[in-house]
Amino acid sequence: MGGAILAYLAKRITPMLSSIVSFLAISSAAVVFFTMTSSTDVVTVSVRNFTLQFGLNAYSWVFAAMVMGISALVSLYNIAYMSGKDRLGYFNLNFTLAIMSMMGIVFANDWISFFIFWEIMTWSSFLIVVYNGIDEGKIGTKYMIFSAVGGYAMLMAIVITNSQIDSFLIADLINAYPTFGHGMQAMIGILFLIGFSVKAAVMPLHVWAPRAYSDSPMSFTAIFSGLLSKMGIFGMAIMFISVFSKASIGDTFIYSQVIAWLGGVTAVMATFYAVIQKDAKRLLAYSSIAQLGYIVTGLAIGTKLSVMSALFLAVIHALYKGILFMAVGAVERQAGSTNLEQLGALIRKMPWTFFSALIAAIALAGIPPLGGFVGKWMLYESMITSTNPSHLFLVILIFLSSTAAFLYVYRLLFGLFLGQEEPEWDHVKEAPAPMVIPMVLMALTLILLGYAPGLLFEPIANGMEFLGFENVGWQMSSLSNIWGDTVDMQYVWGSVVTLFVLGAIFITIKNRKSTRYVTTKDIHTSGEIPEAHENLTYAVDFYKPFERAIEPVMRKTMDFYYNHFGNGLESLFGFVRKIYTGNGQTYAMYVVIFLVILLLIGEQIFK
Amino acid sequence: MEDILKLLGGAAATMLLAFVVGATYGGLVRKIIARTQNRVGPPWYQNFVDISKLYMKDTAVHHGVMQHIGPAFAITASVTVLMFVPVLREGGWFPWFENLNFKGDIIFLIYMMVFGSLGMALGIGQTGNPNASIGVSRGLSMMVGYEIPFVLSLVSVMVQTHTTSITGLMEWQTQNGWLMFEAPFAFITMLLAILGMFHYAPFDIAHAPSEIASGPPSEFGGKYLAMMMTSGSIFAFAKLVFLVDVFMNGASNLVMLVVKTLLLYMVPVLYGAVSPRYRTEQAIRYLWGWPVFFGIIALIYSIYI
Amino acid sequence: MVVSPVHFIAVPLLAAFLMPILAKVNKNLLRIVPGIVLTYLGYVSVVLMNRVATEGTIIEVLAGWSAPWGINLVYTPFTGFLATLMIAMSFLIWLYSFKFKKVDDEPALKYFILQLMLTTGSVGLVLTGDIFNFFVFMEIIALSSYALTAFYRDRNGAEAAFKYLLIGAFASTLFLLAIVLLYSQVGTLNMAEISVRMHDVPTSMKVSILVLFLVGIGIEAEMFPLNGWAPDAYSQAPSPVGVAFAALVVKAGVYGLVRITYTLFGIEGSGIGPFLIIMGGITLVMAEITALKQTSLKRMLAYSSIGQMGFVLIAFGIGTHEAVFGAIFLMFNHAIIKGLLFMSGSYLVYNTPNKEIKYLSGYGMKMPVISLFFSLGALAIVGLPPFAGFWSKLYILLAAADGALYGLIALILVVSIIEIVYYFRVVGRLYFGKPAEGSIMRKPTVGGMIAMSILAIAILVVGFYPDIITGYIDAAASSILNTDEYIKNALGAVNELTPVENIIQ
Repeated sequence: MGGAILAYLAKRITPMLSSIVSFLAISSAAVVFFTMTSSTDVVTVSVRNFTLQFGLNAYSWVFAAMVMGISALVSLYNIAYMSGKDRLGYFNLNFTLAIMSMMGIVFANDWISFFIFWEIMTWSSFLIVVYNGIDEGKIGTKYMIFSAVGGYAMLMAIVITNSQIDSFLIADLINAYPTFGHGMQAMIGILFLIGFSVKAAVMPLHVWAPRAYSDSPMSFTAIFSGLLSKMGIFGMAIMFISVFSKASIGDTFIYSQVIAWLGGVTAVMATFYAVIQKDAKRLLAYSSIAQLGYIVTGLAIGTKLSVMSALFLAVIHALYKGILFMAVGAVERQAGSTNLEQLGALIRKMPWTFFSALIAAIALAGIPPLGGFVGKWMLYESMITSTNPSHLFLVILIFLSSTAAFLYVYRLLFGLFLGQEEPEWDHVKEAPAPMVIPMVLMALTLILLGYAPGLLFEPIANGMEFLGFENVGWQMSSLSNIWGDTVDMQYVWGSVVTLFVLGAIFITIKNRKSTRYVTTKDIHTSGEIPEAHENLTYAVDFYKPFERAIEPVMRKTMDFYYNHFGNGLESLFGFVRKIYTGNGQTYAMYVVIFLVILLLIGEQIFK
Repeated sequence: MEDILKLLGGAAATMLLAFVVGATYGGLVRKIIARTQNRVGPPWYQNFVDISKLYMKDTAVHHGVMQHIGPAFAITASVTVLMFVPVLREGGWFPWFENLNFKGDIIFLIYMMVFGSLGMALGIGQTGNPNASIGVSRGLSMMVGYEIPFVLSLVSVMVQTHTTSITGLMEWQTQNGWLMFEAPFAFITMLLAILGMFHYAPFDIAHAPSEIASGPPSEFGGKYLAMMMTSGSIFAFAKLVFLVDVFMNGASNLVMLVVKTLLLYMVPVLYGAVSPRYRTEQAIRYLWGWPVFFGIIALIYSIYI
Repeated sequence: MVVSPVHFIAVPLLAAFLMPILAKVNKNLLRIVPGIVLTYLGYVSVVLMNRVATEGTIIEVLAGWSAPWGINLVYTPFTGFLATLMIAMSFLIWLYSFKFKKVDDEPALKYFILQLMLTTGSVGLVLTGDIFNFFVFMEIIALSSYALTAFYRDRNGAEAAFKYLLIGAFASTLFLLAIVLLYSQVGTLNMAEISVRMHDVPTSMKVSILVLFLVGIGIEAEMFPLNGWAPDAYSQAPSPVGVAFAALVVKAGVYGLVRITYTLFGIEGSGIGPFLIIMGGITLVMAEITALKQTSLKRMLAYSSIGQMGFVLIAFGIGTHEAVFGAIFLMFNHAIIKGLLFMSGSYLVYNTPNKEIKYLSGYGMKMPVISLFFSLGALAIVGLPPFAGFWSKLYILLAAADGALYGLIALILVVSIIEIVYYFRVVGRLYFGKPAEGSIMRKPTVGGMIAMSILAIAILVVGFYPDIITGYIDAAASSILNTDEYIKNALGAVNELTPVENIIQ
């Protein structure tokens, strides 16, 4: 394992001059990873008075496998997506660095290497966020500020931990945490949670995410939203499950309640924002935030079922959001726009992209029989069967969010692929094979996971046992809650697929000869026949009524408060800066005043 | 082998039953509404006539593959929901009846119920008809409205009975009495939710026949419309049976089933017959008002009972 | 030839004085000679570093002059480390400025002479073992700095130099006053000796001396509110001089502060530690906030430099081995990183009006290598791993955490966020702004490229493998903390030659 890691590092740090090299590096790393998974070597690198440890455990295997598998596919997509763009070397270097650093994070056994890779991930992704150069000052800076707040909160927690237990090992913190005083427990806990929440885009630390996700190149956003944000989840799970649960305050740990509710509120608000977006990328960005809200909630509830659902959703979300971002990227590349109000009817031009996006959308909406449903089901059941009444109200928030998710899912598919065919988009062709293949493969994975979610339960259950749960039960294709109620995915999958196939066959065979395709201009419009250039698609302000209904909660955004806070600071800083007047006499006066003051109070200060 | 035949036979029989009863209800509703409005109205079997006619017609056009398979999505959802809902309580007079309920539960059903709408909506989207898309927008928005009280009601029932499966609920009711009385607030919430759910006035803006030419199905004809109507009939019946199972302990024979479902069905129908139409945002706000209030009371009730 | 610390001072001074003559012989010599001198000194310092590592502190007393009047050089791991760093940086600055004023030899001659003087002064200040020579070297630095600041002979340069001179005069006066008072009390100028006799000085007198020293040297160390001169000087002086300020002058100032507080007065229980932490904290906050509001790149870098020095003061104020280690590490990092930033930054703003940041849009495309260097420096100076700056920040934070100074940690980290904001604003603009039309880029010289590459490589190497340097820094930290050892070594050597005790009595 150790040699492998070092090989990855060495291989990937070298500047990649083309996407192909980057793909080869990532996929070969993936191959190396998947072929030597069972080894449990620990690599140590010593730096002065402490050692950095890298190793793999059952828990990090889940995330490592997810990162490696998906980024290998996305980097394949990346070859075609980025072809013909500027500064490929720059982009691919950061792209590869970001993926490498995620592997570093999951391999890290101690907080220092965790933090090092965390920060590499942050700045490499920052450099990609600003790559497109849209409004670079605002978005990049916002992303960097929030990441820095999170990263430094984590760093503070790390150094304080070290001062308490004189060790950086994650395992040592887990063991030592119960022995800390309450104040210390709370401080370390909160600081770590802030650090992880920023990456997981939990409200109110999410404001960087929408623009950062939507303005990066899509091949990276697939990674950004799918995997990078999961690093926050990765850390959070360690905190919630291994660290907090062993503490003296144990189950009543108030922060997990707070975080659970924050996750719920995040899910609802981000979903509402996603519904009213006009741009596919922005829509998906908000949707990512919302989905992360579920995962955070699942982790914070902290029962076996909810944690399993959170980790399951984490993987599934990486898959379907990866597909959706890639699909939108494909549309962007082929059609040159991602505006939901202008695009339309690409289904006949980009059928494979549509197929993948459809499967991903169904999974996102949590509709059976795909993998997304499995995760959602476990999440709901874990909340309904929870002994804590607050979770029962939380379930309503989560439900509201996932019902409203149907709206934006439909809007996305409708806006891009359906509606009337316009001559404007006649030139659009299906995306090249390197872009389509990863999407279709991931879509098929989603279908497979609907049939046999146990494929994913197994590593997750192992990981959870590593984190501290005992006897995490799972079945290959059957879900069950603690009240003993079950859903058998094989039956569900079987009946849905059978009925669908039967229905489709029936409807196709009947009158097959006489039914023909006509264009979408040839429609029932009360006698009027629209001309080719007339676009009747109802796409502008698609959910205006819904917008009106939810208007009271949308008036003030979090951004608004942050901007005010920022402006306040700006003027304060402007005032402070006036101390440096640029006048030599003033400076001389400062010296004299300082001298006099020191002479006067010197004896009190210096003993 | 025999088991599978029994299963398939039972499934087919259930489907037939659902279709017949559902379509009949549809006819009755048309009649009732007509009478309320002082019209004569079509005969009760009008829906059968319509559907047969549509099946027999040749279908000339479609606008693409998504529209083509849209109705298949709808029928899949309806039949799957039906398959996972126990139509009659065990030990009923239907000797070879079986259902799949033990393999699914309420959360699964809630999700399955939207499967069809979403699939249909995609099919409708491809037609490019503005009226249809407007209908979809309204329908989906309103779905967010009524799902919340609907789920609140079901969650409080599940919490109260400590089970999430329908058979579990029915066993509980056999021992403790109908949930309609045991969980009164949940039942009230449900009644309010199904007003929206069945899309009768005042919540019929999605279809709004006089305004947007029936909205969603406006571009569908022939076999497509026939399939949609079939699916709609089955779905209406499945939903009613589901509600009867949850709140009235199901039914042990067909007569009781018909009585109970019809009673429940009359609530939205009669209310709708005398109501004007809400605009979408009004509908959503209405559904997030009193129904949610009762839902929360129901939840509190179920926690502390 | 036997190498000894005295070469550090004698050789460059000699070279500086000979340069006008040499320049007459061949005008290329004036560019080559400093390089030769600095290469030789580099060799000397490497040899001495190794010797110190094996044999311990080296004391050099200039023959014929007895302490306390003689020039007494104390080469400890700490002073040796700093001297080596300064020599190395001077060498890189020489490389960078090799073609400086190519067409005009007269200013070039002045420039190279002054640079050599600056190096001499800084290294001498670090190495000297007695307080009066300390003052002398401080004056050498100050004088050459004034001249270099006013180098361009324009209005701004003159103004900056005047401000510097004004404040610098205060520094000299106060420092001299402190020395006089000190001498009147302890009767010696040898720092080790002073340290021994400090116990007998009455408290009020001790405090007065301390305050005078603090203010005097605090000006050179850019401590708030004594640092008003710095931004002007940095931004108006020729760009290599900015590097020299950041890498040599400030370091010398901080060294002086540390030597005086640690060795002369003793840091433990004296209240100096908290004082340094507080002043460092204020310096840090004020400087970073001001840097955020700057529109000129060089001024921004200058304020950032001040901020970093505040950070160093905080670390020295904490005073544990870990903290001092972090502080020295940070001094090292600041020298190489800020060197890189100033070097690449001056190329970036070479042709922009007022050196404003807002004209830098899209330079990443036009000057890719320089922009890359600048970005690397920016990432490193804000302390992002895996670059050099991270480790020093980490060690200082660890030391603060060990001292349970949680508020301080939070302050440092908040300030770091401000730092990130203004550096990343520039980096973002470099790469992703719309390129402005028609601006002429200045092609970097070969020497400049080599110098910057060396610094960049150093940043990366130290970032990935800090152990390459930590051994030296550890030794340096032990040496500055262990006052007794210093006294024993310094006095021991002195006693062998001249019995100080006898002279004083």
